[in-house]
Amino acid sequence: MADITVTINGNQITGHAGITILELAKENSIDIPTLCYCPDLPPMGACRLCVVEVAGSKALVGSCHTPISQGMVIQTHSPKVMATRKIIIELLLASHSGFCTVCDKSNICELRKLAMDMDIGLSRFQSKKRYFPIEDISPYITRDLSKCVLCRRCLQICNEVAKKRVFGIGYRGFNSKVIVDLDQPIDKEVCRDCGLCITSCPTGALSNPAQIGEEKKGTPLVIRG
Amino acid sequence: MRNGFGISMNKSEETISISNNNGENLLVLLEEEQRKSGYLSQEFITALAQSLDTPVSEIYGVISFYSFLSNKLQGRNIIRICKNLPCFLKNSELIIKCITQELGIKPGQTTPDGRFTLVLTNCIGACDKAPAMMINNDIYGDLTPQKITKILESYK
Ligand code: SF4
Ligand code: FES
Ligand code: FES
Repeated sequence: MADITVTINGNQITGHAGITILELAKENSIDIPTLCYCPDLPPMGACRLCVVEVAGSKALVGSCHTPISQGMVIQTHSPKVMATRKIIIELLLASHSGFCTVCDKSNICELRKLAMDMDIGLSRFQSKKRYFPIEDISPYITRDLSKCVLCRRCLQICNEVAKKRVFGIGYRGFNSKVIVDLDQPIDKEVCRDCGLCITSCPTGALSNPAQIGEEKKGTPLVIRG
Repeated sequence: MRNGFGISMNKSEETISISNNNGENLLVLLEEEQRKSGYLSQEFITALAQSLDTPVSEIYGVISFYSFLSNKLQGRNIIRICKNLPCFLKNSELIIKCITQELGIKPGQTTPDGRFTLVLTNCIGACDKAPAMMINNDIYGDLTPQKITKILESYK
């Protein structure tokens, strides 16, 4: 396929026609943060974290779903882009009800990492928190949707890779939620143990069921007063 | 029973068969059933999902997204009071209070005699007549507490 030359941050860069701005940036070690993007799967454009400035376009464009075109002039880290990305993360943090200090996944949490990279401490915004009961009846997966940021990666992986179509999005606005069937807690009938969604989830919302006490087989420790 | 969407449905046996339909008319199918049965039963949703080869969660997602669709049994008449800003500024709160008192139910509930279901809805496009509400398919605007009793009386 024909090659296309674009300007990214002042440098002329050439890539194959048909690839996205994000893919071209990746090939050239330009780091654009993403949240909903799953490599090799169709882009969803849900989180808007990957936005970049393209000369001539009024709004910022999502780099994960915008193909490059000849002569594009792109800024990946302009002040406007950085400010927008920061607000997105701050808004996510504002309604995210997980507490990193007691979250098992805080050390591998992409949301926390993004916040750190962007130098975000406490969010400037105050919002209602999203609380949902923990779903832990399945032996294969535990869902704590209070920690979910609605990136839809679990849907994407389940639909496109596992081909099981277990998850859907229910309700709207603030009440949006990743649902199973008629918004029932996920159980072992609908989901087998492929575990793909667990690895794809950027936050602590999806995890392997805790097996408390199973690792340790000795006599329980008794503390006498 | 046949209709224009190529769906034939026999309510008593909860069987649905769909020809020449690929799910693009999902909203139409849901709306049709809602009109017929008053709500979308679990059986209907599951059967529809099967015949369209669509996950139940996707259909439920659509139902829960639109406030005009419901998966719960509803009253004979559905009152939808607009809860958006223009109506709010014209004191829709008073109308909501007035109706909840009159019927003795809160938004989201149905009167014990099954006569009314009360819900709050987003803009119904009658902002020029705010505060506004809909009962079934009729729009009522410029509402005042005085008007409420009379309007409600006309629905049995
Ligand atoms: S459960 Fe995890 S992967 Fe799924 S939408 Fe929420 S944050 Fe994303
Ligand atoms: S990564 Fe591009 S919109 Fe989420
Ligand atoms: S805001 Fe109430 S009808 Fe539009």
